[in-house]
Amino acid sequence: MNQTKRIIIVVIILFVIIAVVLAVDFLQRQNAASQLPADMPPGSIPIYVNGKFTASFVSEDLNQLGLVSFVDDEEGKTQEGYLLRDVILLYIDGGSLDSDTSVKVSSSSREKVQTLTWEEIDQFNNMVLFDISGRGTLKLVSKIPGFDIRDAWVQDVDKIEITTP
Amino acid sequence: MKERYFSTFQLILLALFSALVVVAKIVLRMPLQLTGHSGIFWMAIIIVGAKVVPKPGAASVIGVTSGLLAGFLGLGDFGALNTFLSYTMVGVMSDIVLWLLGGDPEILFVSVLVGILGHMGKFVVKWSFGVIAGVPVGFIAFGLIKSVIGYIIFGAIGGFLGWLTLKALRKAGFFAYLAEKR
Repeated sequence: MNQTKRIIIVVIILFVIIAVVLAVDFLQRQNAASQLPADMPPGSIPIYVNGKFTASFVSEDLNQLGLVSFVDDEEGKTQEGYLLRDVILLYIDGGSLDSDTSVKVSSSSREKVQTLTWEEIDQFNNMVLFDISGRGTLKLVSKIPGFDIRDAWVQDVDKIEITTP
Repeated sequence: MKERYFSTFQLILLALFSALVVVAKIVLRMPLQLTGHSGIFWMAIIIVGAKVVPKPGAASVIGVTSGLLAGFLGLGDFGALNTFLSYTMVGVMSDIVLWLLGGDPEILFVSVLVGILGHMGKFVVKWSFGVIAGVPVGFIAFGLIKSVIGYIIFGAIGGFLGWLTLKALRKAGFFAYLAEKR
């Protein structure tokens, strides 16, 4: 087999990998779209207030939010994204939130949950933010002691629940 | 006595390259918020390793060993198994592509293609884990495409850097020195 044929085979393998990945992602989106209500597009994060569905956090709204970043102490990597505080205030009236309001962010696939108070989320220095992972999913990270390591962070977030006292 | 596939000297070299992959991952930081940018370093290291120990399977040994090291050091956001398999797959894919292309990473297009597909091996492992675990579809609609493009570009740059390093090593007489050692 000559070198040109070998190169063609390698390039075909590359395209097959890309095609399979994109096809599976497309099918997953189609599947999710057919199962979710119209106001919850695939990939969006539902926000519940006191158990009632209130809004969906969608990527189209990201342009209304400012990007912030910090370098984590654990691996020295930059975590960059959108403050959870800003995300919530985009959909929920700030007047209905006080320092005791609890916000639960969870990931069903990871079986991870993190519950924070509004006071913790509202403090800019705590850097409670959504970093966008390589897969395009959201990862809740922060600098709050105890919630500043990877094991505690919530990867692949798919729900935000707000409970007011 | 049956001759071993890798000599002790070659295994030591491969272990050193494995350690270098992990050290590069920990120490070298680039201010790039782009997925897969670490491929610039480790694809270069794997390509150099595959030339310094020019036997099929050398890249896989680097992948497996660095995967074990990285797994035990707790690197990666998705657990030790994911880390181990993704590092391993980089080596295995690199070996497959090297074998398909004739095995000489001193040829530019060979090293670039090895860089791209080797790095894509890591992406495939991470993506497969997500699919199996039932990770929700991406919040960003084109996040996956961006990720794929990132892996391809940084893998290609890593391959190019590996090729440049091999050229520099050849010029410095490193391969002649190695031939004497063997």
